[in-house]
Amino acid sequence: MGRLKPLMVRQPRIFWRKNYIFIVAFALLLALPFIFTAHFQHHVMIKVLMFAFLGCAWNIIGGYTGQVALGHAAFFGIGAYTSSLCYIWFGLNPWFGMFLGGILAIAVSAVINYPCFRLHGRYFAIATLALGMIIRLLFTNWRLVGGALGVRLPLLPESLWNFQFHTTKLPYYYIALVFCALIFAILYKIERSKLGFYLRAIKESEEAARSLGIDVAKYKLVAMSISVFFTAMAGTLYAQYVLYIDPISLMPLMTSILICVVPVLGGAGTLWGPALGAPILLIAIEYSRAWLGGGGRGVDYMIVGAIMVAIIFRPAGLTSFFQGPRFRQWWRRIRG
Amino acid sequence: MLWGAIYALVAVGLSLIWGVMGILNLAHGDFLMLGMFGAYWLAILTGIDPLIGLLIVTPAMFILGLGIYKSLITRIVKAPRLTALLATFGMGIFLRNLAHFLWRADYRMLGDTLVGDRVITVSILGGTNFISVPKLLAAGGSLAATALLYWFIKHTKTGRALQATAMNRQAAALMGIDTERMYMLAYGLGIACVGVAGTLLTNFFIIFPEVGIMFVLFALVAVTIGGFGSIHGALIGGLIIGLIESVGGFVGIPALKQALVFAVFVIVVVLRPRGLFGWAD
Amino acid sequence: MKLLEVKGLTKKFAGLVANDSLDLEIDQGEIVGLIGPNGSGKTTFFNCICGVYPVTKGSVRFEGREITNFPAHKICKGGIARTFQLVNILMSLTVLENVMVGAFCRTTNTNRAREIAEGILAFAGLPEKKDILGGSLTIADKKRLEVARALATKPRLLLLDEAMAGLNPTEQKEAVELIRRIRREGITLLVVEHVMQVIMPLCERVVVLDAGKKIAADVPEKIANDERVIKAYLGARYYAKRATPRSE
Repeated sequence: MGRLKPLMVRQPRIFWRKNYIFIVAFALLLALPFIFTAHFQHHVMIKVLMFAFLGCAWNIIGGYTGQVALGHAAFFGIGAYTSSLCYIWFGLNPWFGMFLGGILAIAVSAVINYPCFRLHGRYFAIATLALGMIIRLLFTNWRLVGGALGVRLPLLPESLWNFQFHTTKLPYYYIALVFCALIFAILYKIERSKLGFYLRAIKESEEAARSLGIDVAKYKLVAMSISVFFTAMAGTLYAQYVLYIDPISLMPLMTSILICVVPVLGGAGTLWGPALGAPILLIAIEYSRAWLGGGGRGVDYMIVGAIMVAIIFRPAGLTSFFQGPRFRQWWRRIRG
Repeated sequence: MLWGAIYALVAVGLSLIWGVMGILNLAHGDFLMLGMFGAYWLAILTGIDPLIGLLIVTPAMFILGLGIYKSLITRIVKAPRLTALLATFGMGIFLRNLAHFLWRADYRMLGDTLVGDRVITVSILGGTNFISVPKLLAAGGSLAATALLYWFIKHTKTGRALQATAMNRQAAALMGIDTERMYMLAYGLGIACVGVAGTLLTNFFIIFPEVGIMFVLFALVAVTIGGFGSIHGALIGGLIIGLIESVGGFVGIPALKQALVFAVFVIVVVLRPRGLFGWAD
Repeated sequence: MKLLEVKGLTKKFAGLVANDSLDLEIDQGEIVGLIGPNGSGKTTFFNCICGVYPVTKGSVRFEGREITNFPAHKICKGGIARTFQLVNILMSLTVLENVMVGAFCRTTNTNRAREIAEGILAFAGLPEKKDILGGSLTIADKKRLEVARALATKPRLLLLDEAMAGLNPTEQKEAVELIRRIRREGITLLVVEHVMQVIMPLCERVVVLDAGKKIAADVPEKIANDERVIKAYLGARYYAKRATPRSE
């Protein structure tokens, strides 16, 4: 299956058999909450999974297609708000609300991001950044959706249908795990499909892509739509997890940046990038915050800042460590 | 409206760094914050008024800029675009949170300054307007600093060497210009700019770790409107933003005047990425 | 019906007239050469036909259909493919994947695209290199790859922009051989070139541009001795010896 195979190197497909190590890893993931049982540890694990998910979603437009979008937190927020408000106003079940949030995110992004597609890299990045800020400011000042005070979700009896759990947060972990498995599977399929090839072509050279019959604008829109749909999904998950959403904590610039740094740290445009970036970044943040007494001491983000600077030493991301010939020999040996 | 001049100074520094070395210094606002804190602590600890502290903080910031350049920016310049962008952003985040760590998030203000809270009354168009003197000074000082920088770039040999490096690094190197030194100089000057702006701001503005964010974003907008790589463009861009802000404050919801600035920004980027005076990337 | 009909194509760039009222007709199965000194507007002409630049005036008809100012990807889907003067391959994709991108123009299925790509690679002489990253190829192979990739879109007309630039004589011979093979497959070619020894034996007709205008269009022998052409090239005399007989 070639799962730990970033797209920078090629190998004939000998990975099909002998994947027992992946089965072991997945089993480990399933058992993880029972190995680390503290409430805080569960919280961190859920956050890690959520950001891995968000990172994968960003990867679609940012990593594979090469369009660096720095405003994704806005769509995260749109997802959260849509499902929450649809429940509060119309009694719509959050699972359907989640789907609706995704659709709404696609609609919004089609309108605001489409004109930005003809911008080159840096301009696109700052345009999306500004758009993200505008949306956050809008939500903060929009009384209909609660303004700066946000929205509190009503407590419901816990169940999968209600998408709320109170006695333990474990179900959220497994839901997040399912989400992650879903998006990894989808990305895996996309990588090998026409869409995947086209997106990578666009990233390399839009001019060449056009000369090969690729409607660049359309495919950028497709990539963006898929990306924001999943980003919004994660927003709903988050809303159901914390049961309280407000623009300041939901859509700050920092969230957009984290969504972008997670895959870039791991390796933009690779399947496993976010899986590497998320744990490292999130664990660093959450634990530094916890150990150093919290209360806004800032060490957590100092670490983030330092990591962001450190990326320049390895622009291809952490997965590039798994590309060298020595690693591949070792890898082949342990898989038997 | 006076804010425009201050935004302009910050934008000019940003534009200079961008123009010469192609780096979008997203940590710019956080250097502004450092300048502000520098002037603040100078005043608190030694009693030196910010207006005089200007003479200390500015060179200090210049040297800081040189140092940062030598240690980090040299590498960032060589990195691919996305990682370079994230790196300067990361620098900013780091500085911001370092300030958080050292000085906590409290808002501070300088109470006892030379200019104090003096206000002058001006009659414009029949109505009486109160203009705060420290703000006026800040605007005036910013304009003066911008003018000084502009003169330096256009009329001194070193300034022209900077221009040459900005336009075409290879050609400049072939003409015997030490481009590495030019890069360093540009960065130092850019940081010095925010040093000036920061010091002037301490006279009347609140000082806190996150203060830089809005400034760098507005500076970014200013540089975009004015055109990347153009100093006078950045100046005009800054003034335009000041204008938009005041108009927005009058007409619309005050809280949304920031959104208005960003909206204008997006429109400009989409319709004319080159801005008014810039050359293409 | 002519395969390609260009009438009165004019392209202005803010005051500079890059193409001035150019006419060109190409029949199915021809190999037409387009030559001219640097800056005469050859690549601009290509770009106008291929939808990269919007034309200021004039019309382009392909297989009887009007395609003027169509977006580039539509023109490719319509059956015109091109290569670039500065090689524009996808560096971080393998040779096979590069060609697959082209193949996806005509199919949605990945396996089918791979089959098509492998077939094209064999045709173009690159089969053993299929898993090498595009960025690690030699310039000759890169050019070959670009041609292969363009062929994967199943064009009826192929525009080659200075395919010989940067190749040594052996590589040039191989390239000419490939071009002939392409024509044998029924694909018409419009070839921009600087290298005279290549153009003359290869093309049935040669069109000459100078400063945006067409100054001559004829068979190669007459072009080689045309005074206007010689003057356009600043007085250098190009004797194109027909090294190999033009056999098809």
